Amino acid sequence: MKNKIILPLLAVGAAIFTGCGTNAHYVETGGRESVVSVGKINSQDFIQAAGAATSDLLASGVLDRVKNPPAVLAMSRIVNNTGQQIDIDLLTKKIRVGLLQSGKAVTTTTFGLGGQAEDPLAKGIQQQEEFMNDQKTTRLPDFTLSGKIIENAVSAGNTRQSTFSFQLSLTDRQGLAVWEGEKEITKQGSKATVGF
Amino acid sequence: MKTKLAALFLVALTLGGCHNPINSVENAQKEGQRTMVSDQRVVTDTGLNKSVSVVGLNTAMTPGGVLKVQAELLNRTKSLHRFSYRFEWFDMNGMQLTTVMTTTVADQIEGGESKFISAVAPTPACKDFRLKLYEAH
Repeated sequence: MKNKIILPLLAVGAAIFTGCGTNAHYVETGGRESVVSVGKINSQDFIQAAGAATSDLLASGVLDRVKNPPAVLAMSRIVNNTGQQIDIDLLTKKIRVGLLQSGKAVTTTTFGLGGQAEDPLAKGIQQQEEFMNDQKTTRLPDFTLSGKIIENAVSAGNTRQSTFSFQLSLTDRQGLAVWEGEKEITKQGSKATVGF
Repeated sequence: MKTKLAALFLVALTLGGCHNPINSVENAQKEGQRTMVSDQRVVTDTGLNKSVSVVGLNTAMTPGGVLKVQAELLNRTKSLHRFSYRFEWFDMNGMQLTTVMTTTVADQIEGGESKFISAVAPTPACKDFRLKLYEAH
C-alpha cells in the first residue's frame, strides 16, 4: 500500500527535478525563448533597436531625397554610455544590412572617422583606381550615422529596472540632422529569465 | 479558519495582480481616414484572442514607397496582458522576405485598452504581410 503512494510521489518528484534544468538546444536568435537579463543589453534588444531605427528611417523617406539614389551612408561615432562593454556593430551592422536590403542606402567602407577606413584594402584599390584613371571616383557620403546608447538603472527593494536608450542621428552634408530616432527598452525584474 | 485564511490570501493575490482598466476619449469627427484591409485569421489560442484581440488592420504607403501596416488591438479583459508579436513580409510571388527587421517584439496591453502596433516593410518589394501574436512566457 505504502509503495503505491510512495512510487507515484517519487515519479512526480523526479519529473519536477529533471524539469529544473534544460539540455542544450538551439533557439531562435532574438526569439521568444531568449534569455532576458535586467542589467544587460541582450541580443534581442539590439535586434529590436536596430529594427525600429531601420523601419523609422525607411518610413521617413529621408533616404529617397538624394539626387543619385541609393543614398551613401558613412558610419560615425556611436558612444556607449552604459556600464557594459558593447561591440557597437551589434547595432550598426543590423541597420546597415537592413538599409542595404531595402535598396535605399549603401554604406561606404572606405570613409571613416579620422580617415580610418573600415576596409583598408578597398580604400587602397579605390586610390589605385583614381591614380590610374587620373580622376576622383570617390563619392562623398550623403549622410553620416551617429548616436549614443544610454543606460538608466533604478531599483526598489529586490526589483531592478534598466532602461536602455538607443539614440541615433542621420546628418546630411550640410551638417543638419535630417532624421533622429530613439528606441527605449525597459526591463524589470529581480533575476534573469528565459523567455519574453 | 485555515481554509478561510487561504481563500482570503488567494483573493488578495488575484486582486493584487489586477490592473485598473483604461478609460479613453478621442475626437468623434475624424480628419484622417484609415484604409482598412480585409483579413483572414487563424486562432489557436482563444484566451490570447480575448486579451489581445485584433480589431482591424489598415495599411498606408510611406513617402519612400514602402508598405506600412497598423493593427488595432483591444484587450477585452480587465487585466494587464503581456504578449509578443512579429510581422512577416511576402513579395508579389508570395515568397517570404526575411531580413534583420523581422523581429519579435515584446509588448503589453492594459485591461480594456485599445492600442496600435505598426511595422514598416523591409523593402518596397513587400506586398503582403502576416501578423503573429504570442502569449508571453
